[in-house]
Amino acid sequence: MLDRNAERGAGDAYPGYDVLAKWRGPSWNEKTREVVAARLQVGDTPQFLTAEEFEILAAVADRVVPQPCSRSPVPVAGLLDRKLRAGVLDGYRAKGLPRDGEAWRRGLRALDAEARARHDRGFAAITDADQDDLLRRCEAGELDAPEWAGMPSRTFFKHRLLRDIALAYYSHPTAWSEVGWGGPASPRGYVRLDFNDRDPWEAAEAKPGREADALRTNRNVR
Amino acid sequence: MSDDGRHSPRARDGRAPDVFRPGGWVSMKEYSDHEAVDFVIVGTGAGGATLACKLAEYGFSVVALDAGPYFRPLEDFASDESEQTKLYWTDDRIVDGDNPLQLGSNNSGKAVGGSTVHFAMVSLRFRPEWFKARTKLGYGADWPIDWREMWAYYTEVEQALKISGPVNYPWGPPRPRYPYRAHPLNAAARALARGCEALGIGWTETPLATLSAPRGLAHPCVYRGFCVTGCSTNAKQSALVTWIPRALSAGAEIRDLAMVGRIETDANGLAVGVHYHRQDKWRFQRARNVVVAGYAIETPRLLLNSATDKFPSGLANSSGLVGKNLMAQANQAVWGEMDEEVRSYKGPPSLAITEHWNYEDDGKDFFGGYAYMSQGPLPQLWANTQATAHGLWGARLVQEMKRYNHVVGLKIVGEMLPQENNRVTLADERDQYGLRIPRVTYSWCDNDRRLIDHSIAFMSRALSAIHAKNIWVQEDDTCHLNGTARMGDRPDSSVVNADCRSWDIPNLWICDGSVFPTVGGANPSLTIQAIACRTADRIRALSRLGEVNLN
Amino acid sequence: MLAASVLADSAVEHYRGSFKNKAMLTPLIVAGLTLAMSLHGTADRRPMAHQARDASYLSAAVTGLLGTGFHIYNVTKKVGGLSWQNVFYGAPLGAPMAILLSGLLGFCSERVRANGGRRRHRVFNLPAGETVATVTALGLLGTSGEAGLLHFRGAFHNPLMALPVTLPPIGAGLLAGAVVNGGARPRGLARWWMRLLVGMGFAGVGFHAYGVSRNMGGWRNWSQNILNGPPLPAPPSFAGLALAGLAALELMREARNA
Repeated sequence: MLDRNAERGAGDAYPGYDVLAKWRGPSWNEKTREVVAARLQVGDTPQFLTAEEFEILAAVADRVVPQPCSRSPVPVAGLLDRKLRAGVLDGYRAKGLPRDGEAWRRGLRALDAEARARHDRGFAAITDADQDDLLRRCEAGELDAPEWAGMPSRTFFKHRLLRDIALAYYSHPTAWSEVGWGGPASPRGYVRLDFNDRDPWEAAEAKPGREADALRTNRNVR
Repeated sequence: MSDDGRHSPRARDGRAPDVFRPGGWVSMKEYSDHEAVDFVIVGTGAGGATLACKLAEYGFSVVALDAGPYFRPLEDFASDESEQTKLYWTDDRIVDGDNPLQLGSNNSGKAVGGSTVHFAMVSLRFRPEWFKARTKLGYGADWPIDWREMWAYYTEVEQALKISGPVNYPWGPPRPRYPYRAHPLNAAARALARGCEALGIGWTETPLATLSAPRGLAHPCVYRGFCVTGCSTNAKQSALVTWIPRALSAGAEIRDLAMVGRIETDANGLAVGVHYHRQDKWRFQRARNVVVAGYAIETPRLLLNSATDKFPSGLANSSGLVGKNLMAQANQAVWGEMDEEVRSYKGPPSLAITEHWNYEDDGKDFFGGYAYMSQGPLPQLWANTQATAHGLWGARLVQEMKRYNHVVGLKIVGEMLPQENNRVTLADERDQYGLRIPRVTYSWCDNDRRLIDHSIAFMSRALSAIHAKNIWVQEDDTCHLNGTARMGDRPDSSVVNADCRSWDIPNLWICDGSVFPTVGGANPSLTIQAIACRTADRIRALSRLGEVNLN
Repeated sequence: MLAASVLADSAVEHYRGSFKNKAMLTPLIVAGLTLAMSLHGTADRRPMAHQARDASYLSAAVTGLLGTGFHIYNVTKKVGGLSWQNVFYGAPLGAPMAILLSGLLGFCSERVRANGGRRRHRVFNLPAGETVATVTALGLLGTSGEAGLLHFRGAFHNPLMALPVTLPPIGAGLLAGAVVNGGARPRGLARWWMRLLVGMGFAGVGFHAYGVSRNMGGWRNWSQNILNGPPLPAPPSFAGLALAGLAALELMREARNA
């Protein structure tokens, strides 16, 4: 009984918590609403990448940050595509890595070529397990199809693929709610700072067997 | 999108943004390009803004240029990690070497106020012996400045920034009481404290440049936790809300979105002004003295990019040391998970600190020291750490991220030794201004490695002692950047003298972290500002003797 | 007055502490009871002590003592122990004493009432005026110490923050002087000074309200700033004590004239 509850709790650590419920409250200022509103408009269509590249990216993102079917997905590929179009850089680039947009184009095409060489199908069309296998080889630096054109697959994986996808996913309010973060906080910050302290405007964590309490509390977070 | 100062300059037409009032303005004195000012300062961070303020208050005519925008934090800063990358220097740079540095977010700012707009506000004094590291401790190089003199300048800066700190500081010689009281500790800080007490070493509240009580129009801290992505309440005492307003009221001019590409020198080998890019064209500001305050990458880059026939290897470089001895600081961390909820996103990230291993030399198999502090990463930073440093992706990444509210971490600021091979050079590629971009080469030496190993072992014990679980080590991170134009006693072994004045070009000064001969295990911002205050005093004293070019 | 201040202050502060410990409700109940009893006492015209009121006042005194113990325990169990950090931000050590004071003062007033028309009021066989004056003087010193600690935490960033650490100790000195001198000449000054402290107590609320407005988001961000800003209900405790001081001076005058 307890175990089953714990399992369900692990799937949803902060049941009913939605950081967007604070949108009109004192935790969100005008500037924050402006930038997050723009992010919430981003859809699943490319503006920088080609349709083919975008499809591969979406498949890669699904493996790096798998999402539950129980809610509408964060458009990871779309968010990353917008960042590439805006030309926002990290401020440093490892030797052998071209600038971000070019690195992504080349990396996605190379992953696709590796999939075709092994499975006769593009990356987006192979099984989840085969995708994971290819990504693991990329992480280990074992991929060297001519499409990589001198870009080390390992460097691409760590500095571009993992980093950019993780940053894109966790830039979205849905992901903020998922991890139980307080979210935007200005002008209102926090008062209660010690261990196990929670302000009434923070997410309540589901304790095993008491998920309903957390759910009730989280519905009142403003 | 509202205009937040990133597209066209705000400081012009006799006024500059009022950082304390949304949409507000303050009046600003303006100079024309062809009017030679006493000092043109390149960069408005911890070094440049402080010096601009002090020199203007001493009656010199000052123009300070910054490549970045002039923000009003109250209205321009969102509570959002992605949006706030607008504070970072993210222009193209190449990193290589055995241990390539990570730049951008954690060590380079591009805004009026420089990196202090997004620094973690940790305001530490150096250990006195570090100023004579070679003589007293046997490594690195000596500073040409005495610690007692620095102690007085530290006090000046602490007062100017209303540093909030502990009532009594446990390490080093006595210092005056911090002007404001320490902030309340969050759970992450208490975890650090528990670990220190378990291992029998001292800890204290971190002296921070963020207000624990109101100051003028600046609000006290509300513990929102977005410090390193820009403070939207003005509690953070960045150069943008402290030195810059003072500089403006003393008659200095600040020019935002003004990228300096080249320092011009004349046939006599003196600097005569700077070429800068603003509002889509290159301009030239005449000046009797040029101060470079671009931090440890842009400063050497500008000096190297300003090479002439007379100075073929770049300005101020007869020693050949410009760009060399780049010193990052080690930034390794140990992370774990508590049964209790920690929610380290609340409050400034580093509320508690131990400087034990900066002041204790027994039991070390390395030179130098380190401090370690509690941590409070926001979700994007934490996800990036879990992905790229912990190597998690897929379901494991998503699951681990759900433990976010239970995470505790300890992270060092560790001393790395100066090495000539760690350096800034020019790459062949060019940036959006047509300037050659910097190549930053970095490799750890054995001593660096031993320091890192010691810190990781110690912090792992500290987390074990408080019963943290799933402890893991983040091995590769570096923070602050210093060196590349070191100060010293001799022209053949340093770039500037104790007054931050170039040995080669007497009206060229360098005033930022570049001048550090060693870095110590403490965040450098307070020392950079103290050096700038000292430089201003020295310039005033020298000018009274007629030894500063003012004609 | 003191009970009302305590009630509001401990309500706000213990709400901040999320009533983690059920005992944190106690001061609310007790201070509420004390407040109700003294209102009842004021409305009650019968010139005799009332047992329920007495019980309530004494329970307030006991609560104050126990609360102090709890708060000391809370501070010392935190990492760092009895450090500035925990004294600043942990449970306030002096605060529960205010409940003790309100109980004691209530109890004294019952004795005065029970003594009825007699000119020389006595509490535990001590002269009433002198006793109340002494309790009040100690209360002023303690409350002033608490304000001093918290205003030190605020770095006395506003010069007016020095008032509650300078004026009340002088008032306490004047009360003590009145006790020692048997209410001779300085009493006029003492009475004047007590009125000043009443004014300061109310003005303090105004200053603290201004302080709240100066925090980020001002009154719009009330859910944070009421808690993190200067405490609104705290300053009137000075007014409550000063009123008790005035009463004590009056009792002493009556006793002398008798």
